[in-house]
Amino acid sequence: MTPVNPVGDGTYWTMAAKTDAQWVPVAVSADILAGTVVPARLPTGPIAVWRSATGNLYANGDRCPHRGMRLSHGFVRGETLSCIYHGWRFGTDGACQKIPAHPSVTPPKTINCGPLHVAETNGVVWAAAKEPAEPPQFYPGYEALRSLVIVSTPAAIAAATNATIIDGAIQTTLGGQDAVLLMSPQGPQEVFILVLARPNLNLADRLAVSSALEALRRSAEAVEGAA
Amino acid sequence: MMPNTMRDAWYPVGLLSGLSDDGKDSQLLGEPISVFGAKNGRPSVESAGRTLPVVERFGHLWTSLGSPNKDLFTIPEADHPERKLVDVGVVRVKCSPLRAVENFLDVAHFPFVHTDILGAESHPEVSDYKVEIRDDVDEVWATKVEFFQPQAAKSAGGGITTEYMYRVPAPTCAVLYKTCPPRPGEWDVITLFVQPLTEDLCDVWPWMALFDDESSMTDLIHFQQLIFLQDRSILENQLPKRLPLDPAMETPTRADLTSVAYRRWLKRHNYTFGAQLVAE
Amino acid sequence: MILYDYILSPSCYKVRLLASLLEVPLEVRPVDFHPGREHKSAALLALNPAGSIPILVDGDLILTESAAMLAYIAGQHGPGWLAGSNPVDIAQQQQWLAFSHRLTHALGGARLVEMLHFYGDLPALQASGIAALRELEAALFARRLSGGTFLVADAPSIADIACFPYVALAPDGSVSLDIYPSIRIWMRAIRALPGFIEMPGIHRLHELAPDPFEEASL
Repeated sequence: MTPVNPVGDGTYWTMAAKTDAQWVPVAVSADILAGTVVPARLPTGPIAVWRSATGNLYANGDRCPHRGMRLSHGFVRGETLSCIYHGWRFGTDGACQKIPAHPSVTPPKTINCGPLHVAETNGVVWAAAKEPAEPPQFYPGYEALRSLVIVSTPAAIAAATNATIIDGAIQTTLGGQDAVLLMSPQGPQEVFILVLARPNLNLADRLAVSSALEALRRSAEAVEGAA
Repeated sequence: MMPNTMRDAWYPVGLLSGLSDDGKDSQLLGEPISVFGAKNGRPSVESAGRTLPVVERFGHLWTSLGSPNKDLFTIPEADHPERKLVDVGVVRVKCSPLRAVENFLDVAHFPFVHTDILGAESHPEVSDYKVEIRDDVDEVWATKVEFFQPQAAKSAGGGITTEYMYRVPAPTCAVLYKTCPPRPGEWDVITLFVQPLTEDLCDVWPWMALFDDESSMTDLIHFQQLIFLQDRSILENQLPKRLPLDPAMETPTRADLTSVAYRRWLKRHNYTFGAQLVAE
Repeated sequence: MILYDYILSPSCYKVRLLASLLEVPLEVRPVDFHPGREHKSAALLALNPAGSIPILVDGDLILTESAAMLAYIAGQHGPGWLAGSNPVDIAQQQQWLAFSHRLTHALGGARLVEMLHFYGDLPALQASGIAALRELEAALFARRLSGGTFLVADAPSIADIACFPYVALAPDGSVSLDIYPSIRIWMRAIRALPGFIEMPGIHRLHELAPDPFEEASL
């Protein structure tokens, strides 16, 4: 089959969140280097997740309040995130600190980029629009390995693994290893998958899990193509 | 529904030097059109069996879906025989045609998007300038826009403070008059002509009329393509796709007064193809 | 060395990028590819009957394939950018250079359709582009597991330069890069190399330059 093109700009977002106060897996911790910003998605829309130079993690809406430019295209300097378009600079609280076109002006406190809640467990970055009552689901004995997107549905992925979905996740084996697949639907035909594996695996076993994940994607997408 | 006012405006649909006699299918304001070179001896445009009015000007073919109540604007400065007229060529952009124009009216992004060419991060300040909607000609004008530029034009040797004037004579067209390094006292003319295909897709036809005896035509085309393609990656990543006319949706500053006036002028005329009136 | 160049061509950019990284001077001859189609002119067809750019001319040597230009420039000025004597590295470098042609065809083809009005089967080009990006992502993830950053061995090579531009410009052809974390980290490492130059659509890393507001307050 020909996968539909995942455009990733949030324009065709259709999945409604059960609640905004819910942790959603958005990235592998190790995939967000210190001093960088990456795009990700919540059911409420696209977000920008960034790690400051000192390693602290933050997230906000993927949209500069000035001209709507995606902040995930921006850059991190020290403990601030800047927009690539006009260089507006935001602090760890989401408040605008600097408008370069007017260097001597202190921006009003009302200008902010919509800070979100983030947490890290099992090497997973979780985000939520509103603060959830509980910490994110913890999976003892597991560590995040990698993420990918499958052009399919959670049900088709569950069918391809012969497993059932519990709390938005699948427990299965991949490449002969225990694995947990965290799933976050990105649209009607797109699922973000974050795979957790045992932390003590050797290189060959990790590669086997990664390869098996690719194989799972091929079969889940083939199921959708046949449907 | 699309207001009739925008149907009555003129839009660029092709380079006169690049028209095909066999015709080329395109779109205008969401409607299919076909653009012909010399089908009946002259360039022509058809839409759903209708022959549309055409004007040949600024190296481009222009048309309208409605009944234009005024002639296509002119740029008298561009008529000077010593100017080089530069057909930069079309670039398709997945953005609102109005966002493409608004970006062209903005200098504050130069240090970050056109770094070390049109701006430098060490000189980001936009000083106050003058903006008005000129009722007699029904155009948006910004004057006395000054900005420090490391390499203002292909012909510029080093960093200079450049003076700009911006003019919006039609809903999807903008003209920039800019300090001309080799000829103090004259203005270089740089335009952005936008063909609105749909509300979030456009063909952009930049065109220039410059005093430049040094640079080759190819150099001039490449310089402008370089600049516009740097903008393209911004334009395709603004959310929402359509230009918000609701003031609560985006946060302007004094540097954005040209864009504020442009949005106000669009709203006043119901030029809303590619605009979003209320937050979604 | 003379490079027949187009500012918006990712293949031309590969040559300019490697030359900049290795501090090799290039004499650049701009070619009016769009809208002028000068690459199909008699003068340029005489240099390259295939009618493509870039073309690299060094004395009597005329090269018309960007991968060959990268090998030539690296061979002369940066042998560290060529895989050494290890057969695995040599083979992997060849593998990625060949792979880069798939990127050119698929992602480059989608880009020309979406950006410059070229004709092509856009969904098919995008689908093969996505397939190639998925392979690259998996390979780069495997490299990261072994502590590597670049495609071959422990250092940047012509394989990285051959693959980088069409990947980085995939969004020009409406193929998103948002969902490939290992590709993102690899592209960042390339953009952070000393001597890196940008092209339209590939921005520089502003954070590598000193913060002008910090400078001002010192």
